[in-house]
Amino acid sequence: MKFCVCIKQVPDVQASVQTGRMVLNAYDASAVEQALVINENGTDEIDLILIGPASATETIRKALAMGASNATHIVMENVADLDSSAIAHLLAESLKGSNYDAILTGKQSQDSDSGLAGGMLAELLGIPYATNAVGMEATADGLLVTRQGDTGQEMLVLKAPCLVTCSNDMNNPRIPSLKGIMGAKRTTINTVQAGPVGTPKTKVEKTFPPAGRAPGLKMEGEPEELVAQLITKLQQEAGAI
Amino acid sequence: MKCILVVLSIQDGKIKRSSLEALTRAATIGEATSSPVHAVIMHSSAASFAAEAGSYGADTVFCLSDRIFDAHVNTPVLAGLTTVINQVDPKLIVAASTESIKDIAGALAIRIDAATLPDVASFDMVDGTVTCERPVMAAKMMAKTTSAHSRVLVTLRSGSYEAKASSGAGKMVEVPFEWDTNLLSATLKEIISTTGNTVDLSEAKVVVAAGRGVKDASGKALVDELASITGAAIGASRAVVETGLFPATAQIGQTGKVVSPDLYFAIGISGAIQHVAGMSNSRVIVAINKDADAPIFDVATYGLVGDCFKILPLLNDALRKALA
Ligand SMILES: Cc1cc2nc3c(=O)[nH]c(=O)nc-3n(C[C@H](O)[C@H](O)[C@H](O)COP(=O)(O)OP(=O)(O)OC[C@H]3O[C@@H](n4cnc5c(N)ncnc54)[C@H](O)[C@@H]3O)c2cc1C
Repeated sequence: MKFCVCIKQVPDVQASVQTGRMVLNAYDASAVEQALVINENGTDEIDLILIGPASATETIRKALAMGASNATHIVMENVADLDSSAIAHLLAESLKGSNYDAILTGKQSQDSDSGLAGGMLAELLGIPYATNAVGMEATADGLLVTRQGDTGQEMLVLKAPCLVTCSNDMNNPRIPSLKGIMGAKRTTINTVQAGPVGTPKTKVEKTFPPAGRAPGLKMEGEPEELVAQLITKLQQEAGAI
Repeated sequence: MKCILVVLSIQDGKIKRSSLEALTRAATIGEATSSPVHAVIMHSSAASFAAEAGSYGADTVFCLSDRIFDAHVNTPVLAGLTTVINQVDPKLIVAASTESIKDIAGALAIRIDAATLPDVASFDMVDGTVTCERPVMAAKMMAKTTSAHSRVLVTLRSGSYEAKASSGAGKMVEVPFEWDTNLLSATLKEIISTTGNTVDLSEAKVVVAAGRGVKDASGKALVDELASITGAAIGASRAVVETGLFPATAQIGQTGKVVSPDLYFAIGISGAIQHVAGMSNSRVIVAINKDADAPIFDVATYGLVGDCFKILPLLNDALRKALA
């Protein structure tokens, strides 16, 4: 299948916010992985597209090293000021008229956790889509997608061209091989400047640490004592049972 | 004055509590801004839920009745909502942030030209500007986000506001809806699995969540027992969803669900930020972990340092007695 995977560079949320270390969004890595799995025995290529600053090239190379073939880098320095809608419009502009069987995105970004861009892009391109996919296989004319719903998993049949947003529950992304890393270094990335974006419809006024929880009580000792203490606390202090 | 429209989700034959929380909040804002508050229900027997929606503050309840809405497929839901939105022209659209709503939020926002504030922990509307606070960076930070766009879609985390019935009685309006199944570009083949939870995880009063420390079927049996004694829904960390010990529907955290029960038990869970993102708003958190330095103890109200295989049998007995 001809895949295009939309990828994003995000701050490493595992590290403390200040380190500034940037990584490939984990959900996008799962999207790249699944495209590679589906095309394992075929000759179809996997293309990547990323909107981000010039320095995001390292993230593109990471996904190329996993096994993707080609990449487009839409250069946009202040990408953090854009909202999901602006991102989706830029992607749609770039993807209009392309002939991919399927466009994949992560189900959300690890930094903004919005989860909107995929559905927006599908609507702008006028193609069927599924979100929060935890499984995906190729069919004769499209994809069979298993998505995680509210109470269970739903299996959907999508006709190509279509769009799927991927969960990291779908697979464990491969670690690039040395050969992959060397190959990715030689790949020419198609670099284009981002076109004009309208005024974003939403604005982040400020970010701040959440209130945090009141300090708790850590108890150590014999299991019998711990349980007795807990029951007393739950009954008399917390009123939880 | 432009109105507020609340999208209500029906699950297991009733309006989801998180939808009623969204409706209650919308009613408060509606009162403060003198905006009418309407609700929309899409279900095979939508009209049967209208009275309840009215009692939570909806002035008008728009009902679209079609069986296609019961099995979740995004195309008809989008078509139905667009019909109602075009009819009532709301300034603000509010929905509980369920997987089904997350599935359509992006596409809907484009179709009806709305700014979107997704998965918010609180929101307000003042002088036509919608403000919210939403967790970002795996809930390590909060972002105060605003939109002055002419139309705004807000999806609300469950447990953010209390659902309160009022004395109101809404008017019901049936909206004709015709759906041609040939139009479906995505078709539902099968609904594969459910949690086996009798209590809806995202709305449960008590949640018992298991992590890698629970290890195997014998550990799971202890967790199941604790859940049955406390009437809890069962949750899980990603680690035990990956191993298949617990179903993916039970996952709590950044990838999984957000819960805010009265009482949360974290059994053998280390407390990675992606897990804590989904449970840190629980009122009382009890953690059992044999590693005294596990980060889960930073958020626990009561932390028990010890082996869950030794503690759980005793705890189950004690709770059975305490709750008898
Ligand atoms: C993008 C992304 C999204 C993610 N989303 C989620 C998510 O939604 N939900 C989620 O949970 N994780 C999520 N994760 C994974 C997360 O980072 C952790 O890997 C995961 O939560 C770890 O699960 P755990 O605590 O069960 O396992 P571990 O981290 O392995 O912890 C096991 C704990 O059990 C304790 N233990 C072991 N034996 C015993 C015993 N006998 N008695 C008592 N304690 C014992 C250990 O001391 C340890 O603290 C996500 C990761 C990424 C990158």
